Amino acid sequence: MFSKKFILAALVFWVLSILVACSANSANSDNEKKEDNDNKQKAEIVYASAKDINDMNPHFYTGSMPAQGMVYESLVENTEDGIKPLLAKSWEISEDGRVYTFHLRKDVKFHDGEPFNAEAVKKNIEAVQNNAEKHSWIKLSTKIESVNVVDEYTVELVLSETYYPTLVELSMTRPYVFISPKDFMNGGTKAGVEGFHGTGPYILTEHKTDQYATFEANEDYWGGSPKVKKITSKVLPAGETTFLALKKGEVNFAFTDDRGTDSLDVEAMNQLVDSGDYQLVRSEPMNTKMIVANSSKSDNPVSETAVREAIWYSIDRKTITEDILSGTETVAYTLFSPNVNYADVDLKKRGYDLEKAKEILEEAGWTLEDGDEVRTKDGNKLAMKLYYDSNSSSQKTQAEFIQASLKGIGIQLEIIGEESTSIANRRSTGDYDLLFNQTWGLAYDPQSTIAAFTSKVSYLHTTSGIAKADELYKKIEQVMVSTDEETRKSLYADILKIVHDEAVFIPISNGSITVIAPKNLKGISFKQTQFELPFEQMFFE
Amino acid sequence: MRIFKNLSKDKLATISVTVIVVTIIVGLFAPFFAPHDPNQVNMSLRYASSSWEYLLGNDHLGRCILSRIIYGIRPSVLWVLVALFISVLIGAVLGFLSGYFRGKVDAFIMRVCDIMLSFPGYVMTLAIVGILGVGLGNILIAFILVKWAWFARVIRTSVMQYSELEYVKFSKASGISDLKIIYKHLVPVTFSDIAVISSSSIGSMILQISGFSFLGLGIQAPNAEWGMMLNEAREVMFTRPELMLAPGLAIVIVVSAFNFLSDALQVALDPKLLNSKKRPQQKSPTTTVKIQKKEVAH
Repeated sequence: MFSKKFILAALVFWVLSILVACSANSANSDNEKKEDNDNKQKAEIVYASAKDINDMNPHFYTGSMPAQGMVYESLVENTEDGIKPLLAKSWEISEDGRVYTFHLRKDVKFHDGEPFNAEAVKKNIEAVQNNAEKHSWIKLSTKIESVNVVDEYTVELVLSETYYPTLVELSMTRPYVFISPKDFMNGGTKAGVEGFHGTGPYILTEHKTDQYATFEANEDYWGGSPKVKKITSKVLPAGETTFLALKKGEVNFAFTDDRGTDSLDVEAMNQLVDSGDYQLVRSEPMNTKMIVANSSKSDNPVSETAVREAIWYSIDRKTITEDILSGTETVAYTLFSPNVNYADVDLKKRGYDLEKAKEILEEAGWTLEDGDEVRTKDGNKLAMKLYYDSNSSSQKTQAEFIQASLKGIGIQLEIIGEESTSIANRRSTGDYDLLFNQTWGLAYDPQSTIAAFTSKVSYLHTTSGIAKADELYKKIEQVMVSTDEETRKSLYADILKIVHDEAVFIPISNGSITVIAPKNLKGISFKQTQFELPFEQMFFE
Repeated sequence: MRIFKNLSKDKLATISVTVIVVTIIVGLFAPFFAPHDPNQVNMSLRYASSSWEYLLGNDHLGRCILSRIIYGIRPSVLWVLVALFISVLIGAVLGFLSGYFRGKVDAFIMRVCDIMLSFPGYVMTLAIVGILGVGLGNILIAFILVKWAWFARVIRTSVMQYSELEYVKFSKASGISDLKIIYKHLVPVTFSDIAVISSSSIGSMILQISGFSFLGLGIQAPNAEWGMMLNEAREVMFTRPELMLAPGLAIVIVVSAFNFLSDALQVALDPKLLNSKKRPQQKSPTTTVKIQKKEVAH
């Protein structure tokens, strides 16, 4: 028996010493780390990413957008001040708005040395058009009739009808970006590509699946070689692994990923900033984080407007933004915040009002029997499932918080955490009741997000179950081809009103991109899209 | 009776039994013991430290950690016990069948066991959870499906050992039915073996179920479970490390208690082991005397 006691005592002692050592360590490591950083001082960014960069084919949607944004470029760029030249230095639009003529830059080469010219543009756009089904969310893909080479550096895009967001959609990270035609497989990109040679400021040099990917500066970049010479994307699980890696200096950069997931929670970020080695940069509000309801799932209560409205009323957005998100995001009451184009529409404000939510449910026939916890109607339980991204700690907390307040009004909410890819898959197959999502950011809102209401891979399941679905789709069709600003305004107002009244998109907060970067990294800015960062503008001081 | 007498002499065993019994009672009557509703969200108390009203403080949603620990006993300990009981039952029935009847029955059951045992336990559990979906129930089903084979094999060996003894042969010769022999002559003698092997696997099962909940495969939110509480605390591991303490210690204490009990049970049930274990310490004359006394008492 003595030996057992001795072992127990030893064990306790061991645990205690570890605890003590840990707290002592953290003090030490701070100093060590500073030295480390001083030693490093090399112009290199290593960023942590929860996911691999995946297939970098720019005409597909599986790749990581920040990575694709470094390697590939589009004809034009979407900036705060509107559309600006990028690979095309100028363009003309015909009177009827059907023919776009682009004059390309002459000093651009693909990473493999191939010249970037009208022929390459034609081949790339045709490669995208050959796979039209995949690109149905981007309405331009259904409007392009032909691409013609006028001369070596002039290319003509002919549309079947006027389509006002053409330039905006051409400016997106994908699919209308350019990869060297030498990489094409069987004359296209549908079956995959042989290499990833774009025209962008960085070249993909090494990729180990699920480990890391290295990008090196493109010395021949037409805009001048970027100052940060090497960028590595390192796959690390979100949360404390990333936090530790940042503390140790294994990675030195982290940002909100393209699915809107922060890899660190707010407190951890603040702790890093307090340590003095890091800075926290937050963009302007860029998107709306929301819960998307599947209105087409007719066997589930979520297909009822009243239920969706009740959920809307029972979310305490103020507590979510102030306590769970520590004041880093602002409350959202509409699908698009009023500063988004065409979105300054007068809509009924639904605040946090549990009594109102109960009332709506009672009216809709969902009654609470004595002693029951869940409301029922015709023997059906008022029960739903909410899916969240398991990599996002704030989504889980929000989900639990909403679950608790819905329980209070007699709605049973089951919350399920899944990988972001699986959630995206659920969204496109319609296999969900409710799920966390976000609008696509300033460059895409409202036109692309709204166009996506009709796209099967995006929000078709969300919108197709509402009463006025046909009217909604007709209006979306109209707004995309209308040339008159006033008509467009009133059509957008109608569209937003329909989805607002039906409460299929339940807004929670206005989100932004957060970047954690070394203190001496300057020039951190944001693009209009929330999915990539302009790494080429950053430099170490 | 002898078992209890032996056990009560072992201090560690007494403490373990007390801990286990208290845990089980508190778990069974969780609503009486828990000071608050474990799922009551109160955001104003987010990450509050311990107070008289909330003895262990509050978690990321302002829920009472003590109440969650208490409610967590149910999935973490009680349901594990149920799963264990069922798999031991299945294992025992099959073990007795194959150990007693031998021949074809034995060969068939043992080949099935071989198949089950040829897969690593964790992989099998993950596969079953993958097929049936996540959730506590499915994990328990997976446990039962994975564990019975091991119990069946160990119990079979123990049965075989006794079924060869003279008095069993005599019973057979005098025409007593097989069922009665098993019930009257085999169950009582093998029971101690069963008790030891099952108590020794409780610890690992509790750890496994906490592990699966930690991975998010077990019980689903908002229900409390120790593994899941650890996972929730993990997210703020470096900002609020104290949140790991309560669920972590709960697991450590209960698992240790079960392991110590299983050790003690083994010694108590098998006096030979008691002696052999004591032998290296017989240097001091007092202990020798004690053991001699014990031997006399037996």
